[in-house]
Amino acid sequence: MPEDIEKLKAENEKLQKLSDFKSDVISISAHELRTSLSALKWILKMFIDGDIGAISVEQKTFIKKAFESNERMIGLVNEMLSVNHADDISLKYTPENVDVVELVESVLFDFVGESFKKNIQVIFLKGEQKLPKAFVDPYKARVVLQNLVDNAIKYSNFGSKIFVSLSIKENAGKKEIEIAVKDNGIGIPAADQVKIFEKFFRAENAKQKNEVGSGLGLTTARNIVTRWEGKIWFESKEGGGSNFYFTLPVKN
Amino acid sequence: MKKILIVEDDSFLQGLAATKLGHEGYEVKTASNGDEAIKIISEAPLDMILLDLVLPGTDGYAVLEKVRANPAMANTPIIVFSNLAEDKDIKRAQEYGIKEFLIKSNFTLDELVSKIKALIG
Repeated sequence: MPEDIEKLKAENEKLQKLSDFKSDVISISAHELRTSLSALKWILKMFIDGDIGAISVEQKTFIKKAFESNERMIGLVNEMLSVNHADDISLKYTPENVDVVELVESVLFDFVGESFKKNIQVIFLKGEQKLPKAFVDPYKARVVLQNLVDNAIKYSNFGSKIFVSLSIKENAGKKEIEIAVKDNGIGIPAADQVKIFEKFFRAENAKQKNEVGSGLGLTTARNIVTRWEGKIWFESKEGGGSNFYFTLPVKN
Repeated sequence: MKKILIVEDDSFLQGLAATKLGHEGYEVKTASNGDEAIKIISEAPLDMILLDLVLPGTDGYAVLEKVRANPAMANTPIIVFSNLAEDKDIKRAQEYGIKEFLIKSNFTLDELVSKIKALIG
């Protein structure tokens, strides 16, 4: 028995070292990424402001798109760091009233290329009723949805369908918006389900799927949803697809 | 004309900041490392310093130390901009009475200019 304990201790230490190493790699690469992204951010804004000479309206429209795309990348890098360093102040959380239909449409638009490659149809069910605006940080909400849609595409088979739907719920007298992302992909094995939100954890069948993953997407998503006191959960069966849900608050 | 020193080792970022501040009518001096910054600081008083923390050799904290040790510059406004953003980095820089701690990827140069204008005109 004592030998078993020693073995477990050694194993545990090894895993801790690996986790520390991964954290360091993330920190270093995120800081490096920030430098390049800052350069892009600064210069694109100078173009938009006309600091480097006048540009046409059409050029300005495209440069604004590039600026926004870069902002999303900065958001992702900040989230990567947030998983590592809870006290990083770049993680300012600035909620505002957000049109969820627009948010979902713009996230799905970013994935057109990815889903096309696997001949996957991503279907957005907006629902009949008019939804109130969600009161969240739009960049953060984007990151949550991006992670869920990204996973759904990664772990779905060629030619399958993904459904994204919206509904309004009531929780303790407060209205909230629920977003669901449903796929018919590989699903999460029962044994891995309790660990799925853990940092760096990837389910066994996901690792075998030959898809690149950091094991941080769902951790990040959960951290963000917790920030606005929402819920994130899933239903899944190995081989039977996954349904992920999360809620966004509505300002009363 | 107000004199501003930009201490930044990334030559591209330094160039962009210098261009923007030059357009805004400031006299801009630049340094790419801590030693250059300390030399410029010892030559003539400045109206403001924009300082990166991670620099080759002598780092930004050492520059802060030197600036505050110089009686002519004990109260010169300093804006730190960095890609380090952990609590410990911010607290350490704040001990030198800096005006702002900005994260490079979270602001644009026009926002920086408004902050400078609010501080020194």
